[in-house]
Amino acid sequence: MTSPSAPTLRERAEAEAARLPPLLARADHLAGTVLLGEHGRRRAGLGDDFWQYRPAQPGDSRRMIDHRRSARGDQQFVREREWQIAQSVMLWVDQGASMRFTSHDRLPTKADRARLLGLALAILLVQGGERVGLTGSALPPRRGRNQILRLAEALGVDAPEDYAPPEHRAMIPHARAVFLSDFLGDLHEVERALTKAADRGVRGVLFQVLDPSEESFPFQGRTIFESVGGTLRHETLKAGELRDRYRARLAARRDRLAALCRATGWRLGLHHTQDSAQSALLWLYRALDGGTS
Amino acid sequence: MTVLGGIGFTAPWLLLGLLALPILWLILRAIPPAPVRRRFPGVALLLGLKDDDSISDRTPWWLLALRMLALAALIVGLAGPVLNPQQDRAGRGPLLIVLDASWAGAPRWTARLELLDAQLAEAGRGGRPVALLALTAPEPLNFQSADIWRSRLPGLAPAPWQPTAAQLEVARAAVEEGGAGGFDTLWLGDGLAYPDRAPLLGALRARGDLRVVETGQPVLGIGPAGFKDGAVQLTLHRSDVGPAREVTVLAQGHDPAGTARVLASLPARFEPGATEASAALSLPAELRARITRFEIQGQRSAGAMTLADDRLRRREVALIAGREDREGLELLSPLHYLKQALAPSADLLEGALLDLIPANPDVIVMADVATLSQAEQAALTGWVEKGGMLLRFAGPHLAASDVSRTEEDPLMPVRLRSGGRTVGGAMSWGAPKALAAFPPDTPFAGLPIPEDVNVSAQVMAQPDPVLAERVIAALGDGTPLVTRKALGQGQVVLFHVTANAEWSTLPLSGLFVQMLERLAVSSSAKPPQAGDLAGTTWRPVQVMDGFGTLHDAGNLPGVAGEALAGAPPGPDLRPGIYDDGERRLARNVLGPEAVLTPVQWPEGVPVETLTRTPERPLGGPLLALALLLLVADVIAALALGGRLMPSRGRIAALGAALCLAGLPGHPVGAQDSDADQTAFALAATHELTLAHVLTGNAELDDIARAGLRGLSDTLSFRTSVEPAPPMGVDLERDELAFFPILYWPVTPEQPRPSDAAYAKLNAYLRSGGMILFDTRDANIASFGAASPNGRKLQELAAPLDIPPLEPVPRDHVLTRAFYLLQDFPGRHAEGRIWVEAAPPDAEQIEGMPFRNLNDGVTPVVIGGNDWAGAWAVDRDGRPLLPVGRGFTGERQRELALRFGVNLIMHVLTGNYKSDQVHVPALLDRLGQ
Repeated sequence: MTSPSAPTLRERAEAEAARLPPLLARADHLAGTVLLGEHGRRRAGLGDDFWQYRPAQPGDSRRMIDHRRSARGDQQFVREREWQIAQSVMLWVDQGASMRFTSHDRLPTKADRARLLGLALAILLVQGGERVGLTGSALPPRRGRNQILRLAEALGVDAPEDYAPPEHRAMIPHARAVFLSDFLGDLHEVERALTKAADRGVRGVLFQVLDPSEESFPFQGRTIFESVGGTLRHETLKAGELRDRYRARLAARRDRLAALCRATGWRLGLHHTQDSAQSALLWLYRALDGGTS
Repeated sequence: MTVLGGIGFTAPWLLLGLLALPILWLILRAIPPAPVRRRFPGVALLLGLKDDDSISDRTPWWLLALRMLALAALIVGLAGPVLNPQQDRAGRGPLLIVLDASWAGAPRWTARLELLDAQLAEAGRGGRPVALLALTAPEPLNFQSADIWRSRLPGLAPAPWQPTAAQLEVARAAVEEGGAGGFDTLWLGDGLAYPDRAPLLGALRARGDLRVVETGQPVLGIGPAGFKDGAVQLTLHRSDVGPAREVTVLAQGHDPAGTARVLASLPARFEPGATEASAALSLPAELRARITRFEIQGQRSAGAMTLADDRLRRREVALIAGREDREGLELLSPLHYLKQALAPSADLLEGALLDLIPANPDVIVMADVATLSQAEQAALTGWVEKGGMLLRFAGPHLAASDVSRTEEDPLMPVRLRSGGRTVGGAMSWGAPKALAAFPPDTPFAGLPIPEDVNVSAQVMAQPDPVLAERVIAALGDGTPLVTRKALGQGQVVLFHVTANAEWSTLPLSGLFVQMLERLAVSSSAKPPQAGDLAGTTWRPVQVMDGFGTLHDAGNLPGVAGEALAGAPPGPDLRPGIYDDGERRLARNVLGPEAVLTPVQWPEGVPVETLTRTPERPLGGPLLALALLLLVADVIAALALGGRLMPSRGRIAALGAALCLAGLPGHPVGAQDSDADQTAFALAATHELTLAHVLTGNAELDDIARAGLRGLSDTLSFRTSVEPAPPMGVDLERDELAFFPILYWPVTPEQPRPSDAAYAKLNAYLRSGGMILFDTRDANIASFGAASPNGRKLQELAAPLDIPPLEPVPRDHVLTRAFYLLQDFPGRHAEGRIWVEAAPPDAEQIEGMPFRNLNDGVTPVVIGGNDWAGAWAVDRDGRPLLPVGRGFTGERQRELALRFGVNLIMHVLTGNYKSDQVHVPALLDRLGQ
């Protein structure tokens, strides 16, 4: 005996669930290859795991003395635990139309790759005990498996505009941030976001995801280039002759991003969609990890 | 029409459009290709970048060339180009058209007539009077309106000969008389040279312009067929030395139903530079005798056809000797000289008389055969009366016998006096007799008689009233040497001497061969010489026309033999088949020494070929080319613009699909069945194998297989028969001859084998195979119609070739082939089994335990005891099915196995055990 509402409920649930699995499963899979377990901070601090015994120093509270160790000799030791503190990591994955581009049937779109990396990173971080969320107020950092599901859902939403500006509102002070985008849009927005982040002590990673054709510009002849959203267009008679200047502009843009990063203490990463996602994920993870140690 | 460089143009002014091409070049090359739209996120970086060069992209030169070519093709195509434009040749005054009209022109006669028609039409337009002169049938010149000649064109036909000297003379006279005012001449030549052409040529050139039109194609001919080395030899001629050429010669004849058809075709090849080619055709004598003519395929002329006559026909001669007991004495064999004389020109058959008569030879030669059995006499008489020729030779047997002594034997031409005579021997007076000259009305008339032919012994003919008319050759003293009489439609000929050199030297001489030839015992392979034919008159039976078609000769007069042999064909000697009452001779257009010489026209005579290529408008192809080029331009422009890029894979796939569609599929599986058959044969024959018939009922087939496996095991354990694992046999597919016995369980539902399978089964039974039918129903109905298995058995066995059957008698060899048995149980113990019945005259001899029964193995054993069920064992050798109950059942199984052993022994050894009946006789003979 089923109530009449049961089918609708179930249908809705399934429709909801259907949105998540592919990305989530791939992200899970990807994260599984890099899984390092609960990561320590390689320094003494608050935590559950033993870090080291050190001689008690003046100023240490008596309660901190480890009597079992100290009873073996005359000296008093303090047992230190490894610092295990949860970080807040905020992701911003570019949902703009420019990300929904691929130059070849066999390559994933940039958006696809960016979401995959973002979610896999989120899974890794959550499994490492961190709190992960999105920049902005939509999905503040939280822990737990449910947060992954929420992230997967939130990452699946496409934005209508061609080049989405980085979301920099509601950044938690001293948290970490990861911006995944092609950074082909207005750099002022990026600059503003980064300066604001730096103001709040937020450090992180700018991760540029590019299609190989955006790097090599393999076009010839008379061509009208249009942005994916269709808002921008540029016509040329000899696309081949634009190649060098295009690449020079791209390099200049990357230099500017690097300069920004140096100024604000961020790190800049580059990934092409024809490369393996796993190496990109490793790099991202290391970049975040390195920032904390 | 304007002609430029061999190509005519109907609208030459349009070609001026070609001048516009350079201008178009300048215009076209400045047009940039269409832009490509691309989605590209990096466009943000491109904004503001300017092209260095403000001049538009240039079209690649090859695309321009393609477009130019398309335009040029369009312009030229519209200008109406025509290849081989016909030029008008106007003339004035009367026109004489001379035709060779010989067989050499027959293959392209239609083209000739068309050309003639065109010329006549042209002359008609010009109002020129025209006269027509066919050299093979010359008539006085008659200048008429061309239209009258046009209406008479269909009546023209080539003659099957070249213009003869007499006809040329007539033609020359006609030219000199007819053309007083002079005229132009158009000579339609056939391409072959013939003598005495020059005077006519001179007369024509004296009257006006002479123009010659020839086919330009070589003339092919075929010489008479000869017979050499067991094959028909054909020689082909051609009139010019050209490159290698393959032609096919067809042998036409009648099939046994009388329908004309191609009996054989053989290729012949003219080597480069050779004017002759030869071909050899080896055919069975029966087929060869049916050939009526050879012709070159695709050459419809009298010269490309040769008629076959008696020379091709090899007669079948059956040789029968009275005694063949002198082995090794070849030269004394009664048949030796006959074989030597006949072998080159006839096919010899040897064997028993009664075997040879059904082969229906043309001639039966009996050398010194005296008495014939009743049956032989009757058969031989019947054969002779139906048109056969019986040639007998005398000899000691015939001389000593009573054949045709008091009464004339039907198969002897004369009565014989007893004993014969010997002249010129050691014990007799007189010298050996020579032959008298042959009387003129005998078949041997005209044959020269060598001096060294003499006769020392002969059988003598009784003087009878009819003797004189039956003698066709006599000795010098008037005694008959060869006599002949008609019997029904055939004839009987007796040589009164032996066929070897014992009684005369005749067989040693060439005369013997010639006499046989004249008697039409053999047919000569040589063409007849004029001398041979001197004085004879031959009646035409069928004659050829110029196309090589045979017509009834009708009332054509006879031809003298000399002319037939030597003279060239003409209106008085038409090629065809001639008959002198006994022989048939074919007179062909080309003789054995014929050479086809191409004609050499004198200097100054313009010669054109008939193979004038017809006008061919080129406009259509050029416009199509232009269209194709434009399509190519579209594709190229698309490719240049990059629009073809994404679909490149699809285009490649399409191309590949087109290529694949053009490839013929390979027939697969043709060899599989052969390999299967071979594997089956190997498996069945590498050891003795028992087999069962596959009934289609899987359970039954398994039991049968298991049963035979059990029997095979038992045989291996107890006897020296060690069979391989048994096999199932599909009657439709598998060869049965490998198996000594087939076990055939009967079920009501099994399908009836096809007729082909029954033919195989009958062949199997006749060649010694055995089938064990098992209805498996304990024979409850005694093979009546009551049991379904019994009915099925009747249905299955009805088409089989089965002898009368009887229930196994108590003394049948099956009861003692290995074990002594009295009943033959399987899973059922009750039923009787049936085997081939003993002959009705088999009697039991007093004191012997069994009768002296027929030899051989019974072809079928029929029973219903389900033996396979009793024999059946599983893989481990344990019985599969229960038999009876307890120990009694096991005993029954044992007896079933013993029956199986006896059966196989009977199959493999026949009635070897029955030979015990002969033991007393053997012992007696050994003196025990």
